[in-house]
Amino acid sequence: MGFSWKRVRNITGEAVMLLICCIFLLPFYYLVVNTFKNQQEASSAPMALPETISLDNYVKAFDSMNFFRSFGNSLLITAISVAVIVLFGAMAAYPVARRKHKVYKGILLYFLLGYMVPAQTIMIPLYLTLQKMHLLNSIWGLVVIYSSWCNFALFLYQGFFGSVPEELEESAKIDGCGPWKSFWLITFPLLRPVTATIVIFEVMWIWNDFLYPYLFLSSNKSFTLVMQVYKGVGQFSNDWGMMMATMVIVLIPVLVFYLFMQKNIVAGITSGSVKG
Amino acid sequence: MRFRWKKEVPYLLFLVPAFIVYTVLIMWPLVQAFGLSFTDWKGYTMEGLNFVGLKNYIKIFGDKEMVYAIKNTIVYAIFNPLFVTVLAVPLAVILNSKMKTKNFQRAAFFFPSVPSALILGYLWSYIMSPLDYGVLNRLVTAMGLEPVLWLAHPKVALFSVILVSVWNVLGWHACIYIAQLQGIPEDLFEAARIDGATTLQMFFRITLPLLRPAMATSVMLLLINALKIFDLPFALTGGGPGYSTTMLSQVIIQRGFVDKMYGRSMAAAILFCIFVVAVTVVQRKAAKED
Repeated sequence: MGFSWKRVRNITGEAVMLLICCIFLLPFYYLVVNTFKNQQEASSAPMALPETISLDNYVKAFDSMNFFRSFGNSLLITAISVAVIVLFGAMAAYPVARRKHKVYKGILLYFLLGYMVPAQTIMIPLYLTLQKMHLLNSIWGLVVIYSSWCNFALFLYQGFFGSVPEELEESAKIDGCGPWKSFWLITFPLLRPVTATIVIFEVMWIWNDFLYPYLFLSSNKSFTLVMQVYKGVGQFSNDWGMMMATMVIVLIPVLVFYLFMQKNIVAGITSGSVKG
Repeated sequence: MRFRWKKEVPYLLFLVPAFIVYTVLIMWPLVQAFGLSFTDWKGYTMEGLNFVGLKNYIKIFGDKEMVYAIKNTIVYAIFNPLFVTVLAVPLAVILNSKMKTKNFQRAAFFFPSVPSALILGYLWSYIMSPLDYGVLNRLVTAMGLEPVLWLAHPKVALFSVILVSVWNVLGWHACIYIAQLQGIPEDLFEAARIDGATTLQMFFRITLPLLRPAMATSVMLLLINALKIFDLPFALTGGGPGYSTTMLSQVIIQRGFVDKMYGRSMAAAILFCIFVVAVTVVQRKAAKED
């Protein structure tokens, strides 16, 4: 290939885009690079690379945030909620998608009705409900609340059922297999692509959620990782080197998740109907 | 069609768990919020509850902070979707072209959508700080301009929130457009090129019209999420200075959980819900007619 203006233009274009990418990610560079500096160095040269790598901020952040407890809380809340959402959502989608009677259309409509209700509208009554169940300030209270997000799963599953062949279920029925058994053994495994999408997005939403933990969790031992950042800013707002270290620590699990799941996240968005 | 219970019961059982959690945790609280928004409920107990009609609803419009919050939320819900859309469409077109580092670039632009908005808000509060480590002002002064009070000036702060929010979700929405772009057959562009169309003409005459379904989805998500916005301004500005970046969600929480004005908080929450639903329905209708 010889010299051509078109090629020069393409290469320049790509270089410009890469530069824009770097600017786009600059806030994260700023965040990470300042965690290794002391207050004075960060003030005088915030964008420079650290002169010496000091891990003091990380040690302080780690000591103050009860990391393992909070990580465990976030993990438990997310894992159990998502499992419940997937099971309840898939189960509910099955009759709605497969049975022809119009009763099921009405039921689907009923589920659609609440889909648009913002969390902010129902938070005070939810507070009362949790209080009655003695689940305030408990990670189980959050699990209970998040389980109601199963209607999102229901819609996604319901839309996908059309592309799962019914013949297998019918032949299972002829062999004397009841709907319960046939659903779990035959249908549910075939739903795997949507299950993956649902799991990934619900994990991101629940793991990152701040509103409900902020309203319903009040003590350090029940805090999620996101809540630790909120608490940290309230307590140590002046020690921002340490605050930034806290944020980096909290971001690491998310980053790992993103690196592994990036392809699926993009596939999930491109398959449509996933809210942002 | 007759409903044959005996035959349908095994299937209805599949619906029970989802039906219970959904009813108890979404629909019943909605009914409760609606009912209590017409009362002088003081919390704790349901005894001594008085029906006060529309009093709570009327008081919303005399509540200075709520009126500010409504205004801010509307401004935010106009400009966030607008800026994101204007930037995401060209970005998607570029990221869909043949580049060696295409995948890296997509990953880079998408990354700010991944962490919690709360953390991103705090991060930007450092970047936009008027103190020494506020790098944005260092950049501004390096260019020979006056430093800007990004978060402390009442007229600028809302703009700063919008700026950060655009950075936050741009990659996600570019992704929605990329998905649609991949479905446009290459022949269309080939044919146009043979007919002598310029790149710009092809963008406006072919790409943009074909992106309309993606735009309907993206704009609807942007609008709804903009109306519900809470974490980002909460972390970035805390709603200040004054009430200049207070959003509706924040003020509903403030009135309900802090000031214990439950009736007013829930009246605002119900109006908010009606507004969100109305926007969704209108948007859906408009997208369908397209």
